[in-house]
Amino acid sequence: MFAYAIRRILGALPTLIALAVISFFMMRVAPGGPFSGNRRVPDEIRANVERAFHLDEPLWMQFGRWIWGVLHFDFGPSMKYRDYNVSELIAIGLPTSLEVGIWAMIVSTLIGLALGIAGALRRNTSVDYVAGALAMVGLAIPIFVIGPVLQLTLGLELRWLPIAGWDGSWPFKILPIITLSLPGIAYVSRLMRASMIETMRSNYVRTARAKGIGARRTIIRHALRGAIMPVVAYLGPATAITITGSIVIEQIFQIPGIGRYFVEGATGRDYPLVMGVTMFYGAIVIGANLLTDLARSWLDPKVSYE
Amino acid sequence: MLLRKLALATSVAALLAFSAGTASAETVLNRGIGATIGTLDPHINFLAWEGWVLDDAYEGLVANDAAGAVIPGAAEKWDISDDGLTYTFHLRAGLKWSNGDPLTAQDFVDGIIRTISPDTASDKAYIFTSTIRVAGAQDLVDGKNKDPKSVGISAPDERTVVLKLDAPAPHTLFVLGSFYAPPLHKASLEKFGKDFIKPGNIVSNGAYILTENVPQSHVTLEKNPNYWDAANVKIDKVVYRVTEDDSTAVKLWRAGELDTTADIPTAQIDQLKEEFGDEVHISASTETNYMSFNITKPPFDNIKLRQALSMAIDRDTLVNKVVKGGYVVNYGYVVPIPGYPAPQVAEATMSKEDRIAKAKALYAEAGFGPDKPVSLTIESSNNDAYKKQAETIAVMWKQVLGVDAKVNAQDRDGWLAAFNSGGWDVFNDNLIGDFPGPETYLAYMDPRAEVGYGWKSPEFEAAFDKAMPLTDQAERWKVLAEAEKALLDYYLTAPIASSPNRHLIAKKLQGWTDNPADVHPTRFMSVAP
Repeated sequence: MFAYAIRRILGALPTLIALAVISFFMMRVAPGGPFSGNRRVPDEIRANVERAFHLDEPLWMQFGRWIWGVLHFDFGPSMKYRDYNVSELIAIGLPTSLEVGIWAMIVSTLIGLALGIAGALRRNTSVDYVAGALAMVGLAIPIFVIGPVLQLTLGLELRWLPIAGWDGSWPFKILPIITLSLPGIAYVSRLMRASMIETMRSNYVRTARAKGIGARRTIIRHALRGAIMPVVAYLGPATAITITGSIVIEQIFQIPGIGRYFVEGATGRDYPLVMGVTMFYGAIVIGANLLTDLARSWLDPKVSYE
Repeated sequence: MLLRKLALATSVAALLAFSAGTASAETVLNRGIGATIGTLDPHINFLAWEGWVLDDAYEGLVANDAAGAVIPGAAEKWDISDDGLTYTFHLRAGLKWSNGDPLTAQDFVDGIIRTISPDTASDKAYIFTSTIRVAGAQDLVDGKNKDPKSVGISAPDERTVVLKLDAPAPHTLFVLGSFYAPPLHKASLEKFGKDFIKPGNIVSNGAYILTENVPQSHVTLEKNPNYWDAANVKIDKVVYRVTEDDSTAVKLWRAGELDTTADIPTAQIDQLKEEFGDEVHISASTETNYMSFNITKPPFDNIKLRQALSMAIDRDTLVNKVVKGGYVVNYGYVVPIPGYPAPQVAEATMSKEDRIAKAKALYAEAGFGPDKPVSLTIESSNNDAYKKQAETIAVMWKQVLGVDAKVNAQDRDGWLAAFNSGGWDVFNDNLIGDFPGPETYLAYMDPRAEVGYGWKSPEFEAAFDKAMPLTDQAERWKVLAEAEKALLDYYLTAPIASSPNRHLIAKKLQGWTDNPADVHPTRFMSVAP
């Protein structure tokens, strides 16, 4: 298992390098640049600004400069947020994004599993219908609608929770976490319900029951372990996406995370920022997929990586 | 004896503590700031919202009052030579930086030199090479001369700043406030490098001092006790909260967590007005919106076609029924400025029928008609208001003239790149003036200096050159209006509207005055109990 993990990590390096090359040169194909403003300033002043950020050099040289920096853990200066380096921006925003994302994942997994299992075991009863309806609502209403509605009701009208902002205290975290976990709850519960129904019909579950093992024990020891596989497979990429921050959530609730840098970096042509965040995302996606695979081999004896 | 002294000391301390307790609690102002802070480096920042923060933290030789008018700042008075080329500023006595260091004339010189030095990489350098032409500034920008002493700004003594210009510019005072010409505390820049503006490191000379900066969240400033007018500064603490989502900002304002907002979502204006009345502030800004024609590309080299296109736009319907949001119809290139005699434009007073008839006639004269329609693409940014404007104009051109008009809406960079490529037909264009005066707009369009429209106009140049040496504002603006007339008669652009400043301002906040430049120094505000 350990050797396998090492092999996977080493195997990820070419992926990251390809990601770097493709994003670096694709960014440069997009029209405009970090310093194009509506107010078109005289050429010599524009040239001075671009020279200060080495944008006057040939592309291969800029790429080399960037790689050299990355090898020294330096992602370069942000061209839009000029008071900070890209590494600083990620370091400041990451803990916040992580906190909201991880909690949202935990909430959506636990509630989603509970709803899914309940729905599967009490199929076609009111429990199933309510769980199903909740899941449909979670899937059908986008978070940019749910977020403002929660702000208006729980925040502005009832004054139970802060509308937006962030000071690290719990009241500020609740609404963003709820909003961010809703689609996850919906998805996980549907996935779990379908998988659980199928598992309950499978031969090994029937065998277990036939051997006289109680219903509770069959479900917990035998059925769950098999039924959870699709959810685990889904959780890997979902975690990567959620913990790196949701752009929409961060904007609506004014959370100082890193999600927005991805979009803002791209629309503002802030090359170093986009590169920094992209590489970071890439690493997280690769890491989350690795964890998922390891979890699957632990859960499912048929999956072996030795 | 000792005991008595001690007793006295304790009672004095108790008294102080008591009076501090009874004095009204700290007044805090919460201001919404639209976007994440780009930079707080005062010599680099070029954005209006960050400008609010920097206006509180720094003071230039001159300052702006609550209404945006120029008033004495660090300089208590100034003399302007008769030829309008030399400005001599006399600093107040005893000025200090926030850390207690003396603030001297050289600090203001250093500020401007840092702004124009190529190493600083500041867009604002053009203010001193083009908006006002400081002697020797262009050579420093071009790298032809690396000696800062060669630039026409100097400090002959600790309290005198002398600014020498190559050409008279009565609008000079507009650009010597904290936004364009803040002083530099050289010792902290040398010590901390680009981190010299971070909380804890920063030394500034304004009414407030930066104490906290959390990217994407907020910036906090507290009263600077070393500011010369600190006694009249009423608000103790200002928090600028990043409010990227306008709707969230409105909710925060409704909940009383924000006292002012950076903007108002267009769709909510009517409802908010009904509910909050005069707390909804909508006023003219310095941004002008217009359609530019690419005269270097046929058929747009034909002035009759350009005029027909301009006249086919029903600006009243476009701005007041479609775009809305507080935009104001403008037939001129320069935004409406009090005291500026904007040239009369014929189509402004024509009836709709006459205007359309004239547009059709001009279109036919230009050689186009139903069997030979013009086909064109409007390059627009994908910002909602601009896109809506471009699409409506395309429809109007199609309906009135039968023009085959398409809209190509892209993100901001794609849209600007389309201009720079030179292949565009019609450009959905705009310009934010650097200050509320016609000079900033017309200097931008001067055929000898403009950025790629490719137009030529001896009339414009003659009027502009005639206006430049004039030191009397009224007279100067009268002549500048002739230059604008030359621009409008050329139909290089079809002016559409001026953009609004939109804010929600809590009633309890006093001292907020709407103004085109949208400058709002906190030091003139107070919060009613």
